[in-house]
Amino acid sequence: MKDQSLPGRTSLTRRGALALAGAAVGSGAVTGFPTIWAQNIRNITLRQAGTGVSGLNAIAEQCKKDTGITLQLTVMDTDALAQRAATQPRSFDIADIEYMTTKKVYPVGTMQAIERRRITHADKIVPIFTTGRLTPASAIAQGTAPHTVGFVANRLATAFEPSQTEWMTLIPTIYNADTLGIRPDLINRPITNWKDLVDPAFRGKASIVNVPNIGIMDAAMVMESAGQAPYADKGNMTRAEIDRTTAFLIDLKRQGHFRAFWKTFDESVNLMASGEVIIQSMWSPAVAAVRSRGIACTYQPLAEGYRAWGGGLGIARHVSGLQLDAAYEYLNWYLSGWTGAYLNRQGYYSAVLETAKAQMSPAEWDFWMEGKPAATDILAPDGRVMERAGAVRDGGSFTERMGKVACWNSVMNEERYMVQKWNEFIAA
Amino acid sequence: MNDVELVAVTKRYGGAVAVDAIDLAIPTASYTCLLGPSGCGKTSTLRMIAGHESVSDGDILLAGRNVTLLPPASRGTAMMFQSYALFPHLSARDNVAFGLRMRGTPKAERLAKADQFLDLVQLGALADRLPAQLSGGQQQRVALARALITGPRVLLLDEPLSALDPFLRAKMREELKRLQRELGISFIHVTHSQEEAMALADLAVVMDHGRIVQAAPPREVFERPTSAFVARFIGGHNVLPRGERAVAVRTDRCRLDAGTEGPRLEGRVRALEYLGSTVRVVVATPDGTEAEALLPDSAFASSTVTLGDAATLAWNAADEHALAA
Amino acid sequence: MRGTVVSWLLAAPLALVLAVFLVVPLVVLVAVSFYDYDSFRLIPDFVFTNYIEVFGSPVTWRTYAKTFWFAGITWAITLMLGFWIAYYLAFVVEGTGRRTLLFLLCTIPFWTSNLIRMIAWVPFLGRNGLLNQALLGAGVIDQPLEFLLFSDFAVVLAFVHLYTLFMVVPIFNTMMRIDRQLIEAAVDAGADFWRVLRHVIIPLCKPGIAIGSIFVIVLVMGDFVTVRLMSGGQSASVGLMISNQISLLQYPAAAANAVVLLAVVLLMVAAILRAIDIRKEL
Repeated sequence: MKDQSLPGRTSLTRRGALALAGAAVGSGAVTGFPTIWAQNIRNITLRQAGTGVSGLNAIAEQCKKDTGITLQLTVMDTDALAQRAATQPRSFDIADIEYMTTKKVYPVGTMQAIERRRITHADKIVPIFTTGRLTPASAIAQGTAPHTVGFVANRLATAFEPSQTEWMTLIPTIYNADTLGIRPDLINRPITNWKDLVDPAFRGKASIVNVPNIGIMDAAMVMESAGQAPYADKGNMTRAEIDRTTAFLIDLKRQGHFRAFWKTFDESVNLMASGEVIIQSMWSPAVAAVRSRGIACTYQPLAEGYRAWGGGLGIARHVSGLQLDAAYEYLNWYLSGWTGAYLNRQGYYSAVLETAKAQMSPAEWDFWMEGKPAATDILAPDGRVMERAGAVRDGGSFTERMGKVACWNSVMNEERYMVQKWNEFIAA
Repeated sequence: MNDVELVAVTKRYGGAVAVDAIDLAIPTASYTCLLGPSGCGKTSTLRMIAGHESVSDGDILLAGRNVTLLPPASRGTAMMFQSYALFPHLSARDNVAFGLRMRGTPKAERLAKADQFLDLVQLGALADRLPAQLSGGQQQRVALARALITGPRVLLLDEPLSALDPFLRAKMREELKRLQRELGISFIHVTHSQEEAMALADLAVVMDHGRIVQAAPPREVFERPTSAFVARFIGGHNVLPRGERAVAVRTDRCRLDAGTEGPRLEGRVRALEYLGSTVRVVVATPDGTEAEALLPDSAFASSTVTLGDAATLAWNAADEHALAA
Repeated sequence: MRGTVVSWLLAAPLALVLAVFLVVPLVVLVAVSFYDYDSFRLIPDFVFTNYIEVFGSPVTWRTYAKTFWFAGITWAITLMLGFWIAYYLAFVVEGTGRRTLLFLLCTIPFWTSNLIRMIAWVPFLGRNGLLNQALLGAGVIDQPLEFLLFSDFAVVLAFVHLYTLFMVVPIFNTMMRIDRQLIEAAVDAGADFWRVLRHVIIPLCKPGIAIGSIFVIVLVMGDFVTVRLMSGGQSASVGLMISNQISLLQYPAAAANAVVLLAVVLLMVAAILRAIDIRKEL
């Protein structure tokens, strides 16, 4: 995910700052955690660098209320975040990054591993993040699956371990399964497969994301769906596969199949809302943003499955002492339920389902996580009605979605070559 | 036939009248000076003749042809601008050749002719210089050559000497007169300096408030100014009240002499200026009337008058010239 | 002696600022362009791989060609527009007040951010945009014009919209310095409107034209936002190529590209300065 400016972010930030100030004044009344550090931790500020997806002020406010820790959020896009994490490690204490970014950034040595035994709910983390399988029966998806970059040998190690260890690179926090967004009002046939993106009927009305490592995977999904030779690993292509994929894209581009390529959240929303594009790769909050303008937009589940992404919190290497304790406090709080429920209610998924469930009403849980029709009106975090009773969310239940991940957002070994070829496609 | 004839020519800017229905005939191959204080309409008149200013009313005839509505270049006039207006990106030669270039003269021919005209103004050696590399006087010669090269019947000069120092000004004055005579064309020269007009003009046209107050050879203007304004503007006159009218007396016809009969003015010496060959003595009466005498230095030397002394200014009644009201 | 010391001291702050914020970064840029890198690290080294990739890739050549194309078209259009707008402001409009007002109008494109402008172009130029609807309504076309948005046309339009002012201002400045008597002198010598333009106004505007051209060409050559937004990501420019590389942490490749771009732009500026002496304007 990458997103600099979700709609309404500015006003949220202002309100958030006010609320934060209020919380700080009233924090004397809040019961802290029963550790000897609690009183000191209350005064600690953690600087968190992350993307707009999870850099939410509501979380910072709640964190202040519950733990006394002040979270200072800096929000930037995925690429800038990766740069920051790799090159300016002292500018943040907590990195809120994607697993695919971790593959790039962690080996630089700017982060420290998280000790598993200090994470209260470590054992309850969804197994996708530990074994790569949602259920013991499910297959491991292609791409940079989180569990492959989730563990290292010791606190300062920079090489990933193939299986679970006591040292985690990130505490998983938020994840989702991405697919195509469509304008059902402008498309009068069912969309069922990734290959529908390149249906000539949609010539000049389709778009894909212009982030090379994500866009090329969407293209690979399309090509496999269209019956071309399958990839060994869509998230880690060979040069030949890269050539094949970009040649396919260039051909489409020359035919005028794409109306545009988008790079930011707002661009994807505008393309869709204006009707310039009626089918494109999309992120779930962007679909929600189009819908919130009263324009029909569906996040369409497809037969071949989803392209998933996941993010988590990591600790910068320079953090130590009391601040490190506060960081652990914060990570534990993150998994303790409130945040999980908060994220689940936005259509994302949280890493520890049990604690999140305890904070959600049964109707909410059934709607968001079980994919059942809403028993009552479903409210947005700000109290507005988001979905009427009876509505069903796109994409079905948690198990249906996360059980059908075809590949994870990834960084390829041939990234340098892939980016060159991608640029060739854009320049074509 | 006259070179230029103005018939009731009027120029209005919005409601303001700058030139008020003037009539003027400028004889062939003459040197005319348009003279007057600033704002009198002399420059507007010149620009109307040149065609750079539209005529609100009336007609302008050049050599008998009505040119009122013709563009500048079709009139047979050429203008030399006050700031010279040389093209800064062109050499002296190209500046001079510009008019021929606009007329489509072949390059070799026009450059040869340009050199010829630069020689005429004694600048042949500097033909390749840019205007910025020339002195003010040299720039003016280039401007002159440029104006003359198209063979105008009438050359219009807008305060051509005002930017020069006094020494150069006198030299240039001679040269203008020489050129006018040699070329046998008419020059119309706008100036606010009566000295320039006297020195150059065959016809001096004194203007005030958009009207011509006197148009005559300089000598006539000087000897018989038609009005107090002309007498004062042209200088060298005392304008004195005489009943309902006024009279003008040339200052060089006045003397300091209490003894003789005749008109006189009694008062005290208010100013004394030694001017070399002459001395200027200003006498003020108790009621505030002032008059002056321009005395030859020998005459002054024989008198003993000093500043503040009682003095009598006297002249001959025959030297009085009655003025229009 | 003392005078020398004082003048050195006076020049020192600017020299220091330039050294720290211009020379040092440039040196670093050049140094990094010879580094090696992998997907997450810079590896200090002295390799030519980055340059070999820059010059060896047909993408580079195509992208440069495209960028030159954008720069050329934008330059030609902004020059035409800018010249006549400047002409109108300098020679036709009378009165400082009206001139200032019209100048302010020219700055309207700068009142909003790039992103907002780009969003604003969609409802205007889009498939269902105002322009297409107007044309459809007027019966001029029966299918919406697709090339209006997310196309090279849109990119050039946005460039022209943005950068014409950069052409207008310096040309206007030189025009205001032209002695009005020069034009009268030319007319007096028999020049008509076009010849006054060709022989007097244009030669005297050359410094302004050169400065405006440098502005426009440098801005277009380095642009990455406008090209991406207005082409809908479908066109490339050198700046965009560099920006993509930076965002993928391929700093050495980006640095090599930047060095080449810098050299190319400097050469273009040098060529303009060689053709036209702008010192009179400085």
